[in-house]
Amino acid sequence: MTDMQQPSLRVAHLVKQYANADKPVLNDISFEVPHGKVFVIVGPSGSGKSTLLRTIAGLEPIQGGTISLNGEVIETGRPGTESAGRSKRSSALRTRVGMVFQSYDLFPNKTVLGNITLAPTLVQKRDKTEVEKEAVALLERVGLVDRKDSWPHELSGGQRQRVAICRALILHPEVLLFDEVTAALDPEMVREVLDVMLELADQGQTMLIVTHEMQFARAIADQVILLEDGGIVEQSDDAERFFTHPRTERARQFLRTFEFDRHRASGDAIGQ
Amino acid sequence: MLDWTFITHYAPFFVRGSEMTLFISAFGIILAIAVGLVCAGVEIARIPVLRQIVRVYIELSRNTPLLVQLYFLYFGLPKLGVVWSAEQCAIVGLGFLGGSYMAEAMRGGLETIPNVQRESAYVLGFNTWQTLSRVVIPQAVSTSIPGIVANVIFLIKESSVVSAIALADVMYMAKDLIGMYYSTYESLFMLVVAYLIILLPISLFGTWLERRFDYERR
Amino acid sequence: MNGAEILLQPGVFPRLLQGLWVTVWIAGVSVALSVPVGLIVGWLMTMRNPVIRLLTRVYLDFIRIMPQLALLFIAFYGFARAWNWNLDATGACVFVFVLWGGAELGDLVRGALESISNAQYESAYVLGLGPWQTFTRVILPQALRRLLPASVNLATRIVKTTSLAVLLGVVEVIKVGQQIIDANRFQYPTGTLWIYGVIFFMYFIVCWPLSIVARRLEKRWSHD
Repeated sequence: MTDMQQPSLRVAHLVKQYANADKPVLNDISFEVPHGKVFVIVGPSGSGKSTLLRTIAGLEPIQGGTISLNGEVIETGRPGTESAGRSKRSSALRTRVGMVFQSYDLFPNKTVLGNITLAPTLVQKRDKTEVEKEAVALLERVGLVDRKDSWPHELSGGQRQRVAICRALILHPEVLLFDEVTAALDPEMVREVLDVMLELADQGQTMLIVTHEMQFARAIADQVILLEDGGIVEQSDDAERFFTHPRTERARQFLRTFEFDRHRASGDAIGQ
Repeated sequence: MLDWTFITHYAPFFVRGSEMTLFISAFGIILAIAVGLVCAGVEIARIPVLRQIVRVYIELSRNTPLLVQLYFLYFGLPKLGVVWSAEQCAIVGLGFLGGSYMAEAMRGGLETIPNVQRESAYVLGFNTWQTLSRVVIPQAVSTSIPGIVANVIFLIKESSVVSAIALADVMYMAKDLIGMYYSTYESLFMLVVAYLIILLPISLFGTWLERRFDYERR
Repeated sequence: MNGAEILLQPGVFPRLLQGLWVTVWIAGVSVALSVPVGLIVGWLMTMRNPVIRLLTRVYLDFIRIMPQLALLFIAFYGFARAWNWNLDATGACVFVFVLWGGAELGDLVRGALESISNAQYESAYVLGLGPWQTFTRVILPQALRRLLPASVNLATRIVKTTSLAVLLGVVEVIKVGQQIIDANRFQYPTGTLWIYGVIFFMYFIVCWPLSIVARRLEKRWSHD
């Protein structure tokens, strides 16, 4: 079913405009995510990174351009949908794009296993025992198999995010979206989530990641775009090169904000 | 200090009064929950005209006393040819008063569910009905329970007012005994005990229920 | 609709308004007296002394679990006899409403005081403010914001509960209405409907603005 000639995800001339806003939040965005590659979006806050992921997931309708999955157009921009709710795409289509959110979004009324098995049994009508076996295998991979009967509130933030990743993976999405999944986590829990994502990258899962963790972005990315004010400032097929030798001055400036040079030559304190 | 022979002799009166209190309250609460469900549904679904009607009803019901509502139903309505028994008036009155409180509790419970819950369900491919039945309603039940239990207790307490339209509830018994025998302390003592016996278990059950359904604390 | 003319009879409306004034007066005095009682009760509830904690807890729970009408009966018939108080019906109403309002407000005060984070006290301390300065300049203004909407709500509830005063024989709006109905029984047989209808809307006109104010305050102050 997957055609390797086609990019896994293609976004072309995407426009996102909210009602009552004078300019679009996303303006003429185009990029392609090849199969099995990791695509990272960076940019200052308010640049439209999260909105871009949300349009791809269908949470926000688009007003221009197209979004395609394996050569099949799944979303076409239509003006006049500025204040409409979510996109009208079908259930089956939605299961092909997975998403993990920043806030821990597990269903509090389901156990860990219940959270993971709900969608495949309910939406994909898969066999319950088969689904449970796969869920356990997934939990094994993220190191949480012993917590399968726990309730979400009994887990730490990092554990919840790992379960959320399993919940998305069990639907076998063609693309997996990550929206700043570590931004709300305590620093020591960030690592366990990022490790899971690195492992997924090694296994060839196609991913689109929005993150503030530049070190991590550099470690995981195959391709990068820098987004600002709803437009692409720099796009690079060579992530390592983007982080070491960005082409644009803006990208250089952006990356520099994450670095701290030794501020003072000697160790004396201010005011002494 | 208290005349125990009087108390043992007249305790059965309070048992009968409690039965009346519970009878009126139970039906009033059921009616209130039904009215609340309908109103909350109308408000959430944003059904045009009905929504405005529900708003007007909620404001009227919350900003007027039950006693006046009862007097209107019991003494006023017959002049329009609508003759209801005292029991019917009491139940309808409690339902009219409680419906708005229940609707607000249910709507409040629904509004506390973060939007990301619905978005997760959407991304996982759930349709509207699956999202409602598997994600939204189970959580809304748990988040509205504290409000609903508080309203149940509130309505049982409010039911004491039905004594004013000659229904022989706990309150009525106390008033009657004070009037007939001037045994004030004994009557008031039995009044307090009767309400404690009715309301304390419900209050404790409510606390337990709240814990049981609180996904964060369980 | 015939019978509505009863409302246009000379004296009917002014008398009803006088009755409403009694209602509003009882409620107003009760609310005004509840505020200091509530502040003291709330302050007592935040104390660590176990005896005070237990006593305030029992007081709050008893007041909350008893129907207001039962409390009115206890005050009117019970206390009056026990302590030989010459407590008239109006006095009994105000007494009960202050006890009730004080308990409810006290719990709100406790909640408001406890909801203010320790960091506020610590910041004030580090900045060199004294305990009284900390309380009046830092804690109280924040507590009041949380307190005010709920207090207005409580005032609405007290106004509504004032209707029970008629059952103790206070001549307030409902009693006045009943007198008018009785006096015009033969001339206007359907007067009952109209008089109770008018009383219903009189309560609504008093309570509704209070509810709106409470909601506005809640909305405006819920963000910070």
